[in-house]
Amino acid sequence: MTDLTPICALGAEAPQQARFGALHLAENPGLGLASLALRRGQSAAEPALPDLVLPGPGGWAGTAGLAAFWTGPDMWMIEGPGQAEADFAAQVKAWAPGASVTEQTDAWAVIEIASSAGAAPLEALLARLVNIDLAGFGPGRAMRTGLEHLSVFVIRRAEDRVAVLAMRSAAETVWHALTTVARRQERGGP
Amino acid sequence: MLIPHPLLGLRDAQEFTYLGDARLLDRPDGLAPDAAEAFADYVYLRDNPAGLHRELWFHEQGDRSWLVVTRDTVTHEILGAELARDVALARRSK
Repeated sequence: MTDLTPICALGAEAPQQARFGALHLAENPGLGLASLALRRGQSAAEPALPDLVLPGPGGWAGTAGLAAFWTGPDMWMIEGPGQAEADFAAQVKAWAPGASVTEQTDAWAVIEIASSAGAAPLEALLARLVNIDLAGFGPGRAMRTGLEHLSVFVIRRAEDRVAVLAMRSAAETVWHALTTVARRQERGGP
Repeated sequence: MLIPHPLLGLRDAQEFTYLGDARLLDRPDGLAPDAAEAFADYVYLRDNPAGLHRELWFHEQGDRSWLVVTRDTVTHEILGAELARDVALARRSK
């Protein structure tokens, strides 16, 4: 039998992390992801996710063990922390049997960015990187936008925490962009 | 240039891809007797107005929805945007 070695999106056996001043960037290999799309005529109230109401346009909602963000009309991405190695899509399908559910876990590289000095350093980083109006991007918001010409999801999990979901095949490009800008910001440069 | 997305608010035009005239939504009936002529017009003929133009934009780096945007081709002023899905469904129900 072939001997396979599981690796993270950034190519190493262990997830990458880096600290630049107040900002801590870490790859999150444990996040299970599944997309949920309603069928024609189906109501958004129908999928019965435990303790979770599917958010409206541009929204993110989460509990300790489950989260969801809006990705398009009648479409959401469901997040299961620590569920990357489980059959997360099957679990979501069980909660929403009438909807279309697709496994997404290994399609994305997830980078969690946390600030130890409140929202300011995080918002400065976002202002340099993405085309999002930060005045309307408080906790509970999630937006798909462009970062380094790549399409990414940016989720505001809390005042001082943001997650970036990027195409897994472009994981290193996004990591390079994030760490380069965070490093320059720490040095006070452009 | 900012496009007023009906669901997400003002979004940078950089996030969108432009397709062209919104009349592409009116696809002719392929089984009608004059289908060949109708499709020749549908595929090749476009108005080129100096002024108001309804056109299709795809929110590619966003929620992936198609919009019908009304734009003034002289000033580039954007006068409105609606979901192409809503436009198409409204036409079908007429």
